[in-house]
Amino acid sequence: MVIDIHVHPAFFDPINEDGEKEQLRHDELNLHKNGTAPLKHFFNKMNCAGIDYACLLAQDYSSAMNGEVLVSNEEVRLLCDMAPDRFIGFASVDPHDPEAADKLEKAFTVLDLKGLKLHPSRQNFHPSDPLMNDIYDICEKYDRPVIFHAGLSFEPHALTKNCHPLDFEELAEKRRNLRICLAHFGWPWCRETAMLMLKYPNVYTDTGALYFDSAREFYTQMLTKDVPATWIDRSLRHQVMFGTNDPRFEMIRMSKAIEELGFRQSTIDLIKGKNAVEFMHYDPERSA
Amino acid sequence: MIEIIPLQIMTDQYNQYFIITEDVRKAVAASKIRNGMVTVLTKHTTTGITVNESLECLQSDIDVFLSRLIPEDAPYSHCHMLPDYGSTGGNPTGHLKAMLTGNHCHFPLIDGKMTGGSAQDIWFCEFDGPSVRTVNIIIEGTE
Repeated sequence: MVIDIHVHPAFFDPINEDGEKEQLRHDELNLHKNGTAPLKHFFNKMNCAGIDYACLLAQDYSSAMNGEVLVSNEEVRLLCDMAPDRFIGFASVDPHDPEAADKLEKAFTVLDLKGLKLHPSRQNFHPSDPLMNDIYDICEKYDRPVIFHAGLSFEPHALTKNCHPLDFEELAEKRRNLRICLAHFGWPWCRETAMLMLKYPNVYTDTGALYFDSAREFYTQMLTKDVPATWIDRSLRHQVMFGTNDPRFEMIRMSKAIEELGFRQSTIDLIKGKNAVEFMHYDPERSA
Repeated sequence: MIEIIPLQIMTDQYNQYFIITEDVRKAVAASKIRNGMVTVLTKHTTTGITVNESLECLQSDIDVFLSRLIPEDAPYSHCHMLPDYGSTGGNPTGHLKAMLTGNHCHFPLIDGKMTGGSAQDIWFCEFDGPSVRTVNIIIEGTE
């Protein structure tokens, strides 16, 4: 079973009937010329990449966008209901929204979303800010993990310095029962991300990074040189999850490239699916 | 006069080949134009239009030949973040294969029929799929 832990559904046809909303998404995500895609096309892409399940991440930056939610929890639920055999939903709430805690509780209980996605830089919060306590409490109460954007973001209004992996250490240390993913391997701070994973077993990362070169070349640099392959294959093999950050990066070529880095097959199996099941505490094949 | 009939194709493989001759013939049959030229032109830069015989063995040979000529793991310049897109451009092989096949073909239209050799079929070639593609069938001439 292969799981892509990091997919943004902002340009899926079923949630883009409104042209103005689509344009807003292009502008606010800094993704252009990609149009929108029917689900059938996305499934074709998943099939070519050998991906069984995609985790769809909501995006709520509403306090900085006049209340407009870029991709709502309800839209993610709608998409998951259209393809429960392919999609797993993750919620988003804006920490500055006075109703964030209530919205998150609803996302977990009513909408049955399996985790939370947050972006400290874009949503203008520090991971250890007391503002976040209620949100983390709810995640722990319902045993749901958090995916944090970490490292470089191509979105506008998202300063990279506010997503440094070291900013998450205090949270990882204080809340050992909260599973957190520092997405994109925290690139360019991959070694800092590796350090945190080594020290804190509740810290995970994903492979949704392709900032230079081809997928094969970039993964070779990031996952065998910046972080030596042996570090992953021997020490971090239970904490690295396959993620593509689709549609910004390349699902098919990234899926192929990660298999050609010299990891043991058992490590590839962990990265490509088993670690996501452990991270989510949710196995889509057992729930089907 | 001129008519442009779009033909939409949803591909489901990375590299894939379709014979679209019948689609073009149907468009010609539905047109008022009886004499002139038919052009088949893809709207994309990582797909191709070519004319060849419709044989499984030839399709395999074309696919293997193009892949040997343009391997996936060669070092290409067109592998980097594209600021205008906000995403990574990593499909140089698609562009190069499309350059070799070309992006269009022409056939004469005489008395309402597209004329060509008996072995000539029109191929649509996907080199960066899966995707949703559009091919324009352009009919120019007189009634």
